[in-house]
Amino acid sequence: MPAVSPTNVRFSTRISNRLRGVSRLSPTATAGVVIILMFGILAIFSGLFMTHDPVSAYPDRILQSPSAEHWFGTDSNGMDVFSRVIYGAKFGFGIAIPAVTISVLIGVPVGLIAGYRGGILDEVLMRIFDGLRVFPSIILALAVVAATGQSLINVVLVLGFLDSPVFARLVRAEVLTLRSSIFVESAVAAGNPTWRILFLHLLPNSIQGAMAQTAVRAAWAVRISATLAFLGVGIQAPTPEWGAMIRQGAEFMVTGQWWVAIFPGIALIFLVFGLNLFGDGIQDILDPRRRVSK
Amino acid sequence: MNFSQFIFRRTLMVIPLLVGVVFLTFMLVRVGGLDPVGLLAGPTATAEEFDMIRKELGLDQPLWKQFLIYAGNVVQGDLGESWLSNRPVLEDISSRSLISLELLFWGIGLGTLIGVPLGLRAAFNPNGRFDQTTRVMSLLGFSIPTYWLGLVMLFVFFYLLRWAPPGMGRISLMVSPPDFITGSYLIDSLLTANWRAAHSAFAHLILPVVCLAIVSAAPIIKQTRAIALEVIASDSVRYARACGLKTKTVRDIVFRNSATPIITFVGTEITGLVGTMSLIEYVFAWGGLGQYGLNAIVRGDFTAVQGYVLTLALFSVLVFLVVDIIIAIIEPRSELT
Repeated sequence: MPAVSPTNVRFSTRISNRLRGVSRLSPTATAGVVIILMFGILAIFSGLFMTHDPVSAYPDRILQSPSAEHWFGTDSNGMDVFSRVIYGAKFGFGIAIPAVTISVLIGVPVGLIAGYRGGILDEVLMRIFDGLRVFPSIILALAVVAATGQSLINVVLVLGFLDSPVFARLVRAEVLTLRSSIFVESAVAAGNPTWRILFLHLLPNSIQGAMAQTAVRAAWAVRISATLAFLGVGIQAPTPEWGAMIRQGAEFMVTGQWWVAIFPGIALIFLVFGLNLFGDGIQDILDPRRRVSK
Repeated sequence: MNFSQFIFRRTLMVIPLLVGVVFLTFMLVRVGGLDPVGLLAGPTATAEEFDMIRKELGLDQPLWKQFLIYAGNVVQGDLGESWLSNRPVLEDISSRSLISLELLFWGIGLGTLIGVPLGLRAAFNPNGRFDQTTRVMSLLGFSIPTYWLGLVMLFVFFYLLRWAPPGMGRISLMVSPPDFITGSYLIDSLLTANWRAAHSAFAHLILPVVCLAIVSAAPIIKQTRAIALEVIASDSVRYARACGLKTKTVRDIVFRNSATPIITFVGTEITGLVGTMSLIEYVFAWGGLGQYGLNAIVRGDFTAVQGYVLTLALFSVLVFLVVDIIIAIIEPRSELT
């Protein structure tokens, strides 16, 4: 059979090839998908699952242990921990999805241009990224959010911005190897403008590695945003965000009221774990070097 | 090129990075347009008082001049005074650095001792049961929030079981700290045969250290496995196998060839772990640099934040440098450039 160029393959065949890719996910990665979907459902339809209003306080029921009425107990404001944990899923996705989107939107074009153009621009960008690497990411995120103003939107912007070098690096490395390939050279020879070469020719061929990282970076964003909230930076109590809830419950851990901090922590671990499992599985499929012969 | 020349050259190469680091730390505060004046002056201050404080802090100068002043001060070892306590930041930081280093040393040491063997073992039998288990465990380690783990440990081992002391500081208030030798309470008290202090220091160390070790072992397991897999697939190891060498000999070759990338990885990992360590310090009220820095961030004390971030970055640069030098020593193939 003669070689078929990708454009000649029927659309339905391409879709089914993609789906076959999904079925190649390892059992652990599938578990990750299930966990993510579960939290997604909780986040979207949280109203259906919550037994109480997540921010209404019952002054007569402060720090009650888990019971039939309050499944996860109540916190120091007398708010229902179960409903707050469910509602917290909204923050997990609400921060991670826009933050990773921003990282991709900044990082991918920067990586494309730096890799394609090279020269002084590339050199300067790479040195800046190297410089950023010597700062622990969590401390940098904390300090920048604290310095630029403490709001939820700011947390999203800062996380998205700080994580964009991850995507820029990956795309740049791909573009560097593709830059001198025949299809790019012929595109140049055919008189395509630079933006067209960048976004129509190089982008689809260099973005795979970056896309494989999105789930892991989302896990990072969820974790860091919760850490910020735990320290009271960016998101404040009594917002039903998991990190902020752990902060509220921290002092009660040594006096025995464990339920205030334990449950949001477990929810946080599960979501981050699910994203990591999924991300790990994706990387295995996309990166042939990581594939181990079975 | 001989070795001392190499070290000299390598050290010089750090300088542009250091300038960048100082610049970023400087910009950290300016970029937010954060105004300490309102914080210092209080709500009842007049416009004149505002101007006076502004002048005192040098905030009436143009930005580039402020940077030069700041950089000049940093070079002379002056990190400024805390906006809130008026204490010199450098003094606060240097008195707390050793306290943090003790935690970091034991935590990463234990994490490496757990992580490297597990990662190697997983790589020798990829996709086996052991590999799958360690892989899930390491991903779990990636996912656990450090501070939450610390809180749960305090709940279980202090509140429930009463095995561990409360998460307050490095040694019991009832025990006088040992004489200063290395700065580590545990090592110092052992060296001076002060068993009471050693016992208390050990009891206070164990929970935060285990916490840090769990968190640091996770990426080390993952990366060691990846490195060893690559080495196993390399031509030299395949040749050794093809020659019919004993499994043990082949493994020794794998160990030897994995050592350099693993050391490099652990070195770069320390940067991130310094952040994690700060959170652990915060939870266990360890009183080190990390707790100081986080408190400064939370309170908006930005000279202290600058000093803290700068110290962490300098520490990372130093670690990278040391890693390079170690590798130059143990790796005969590496060129001294």
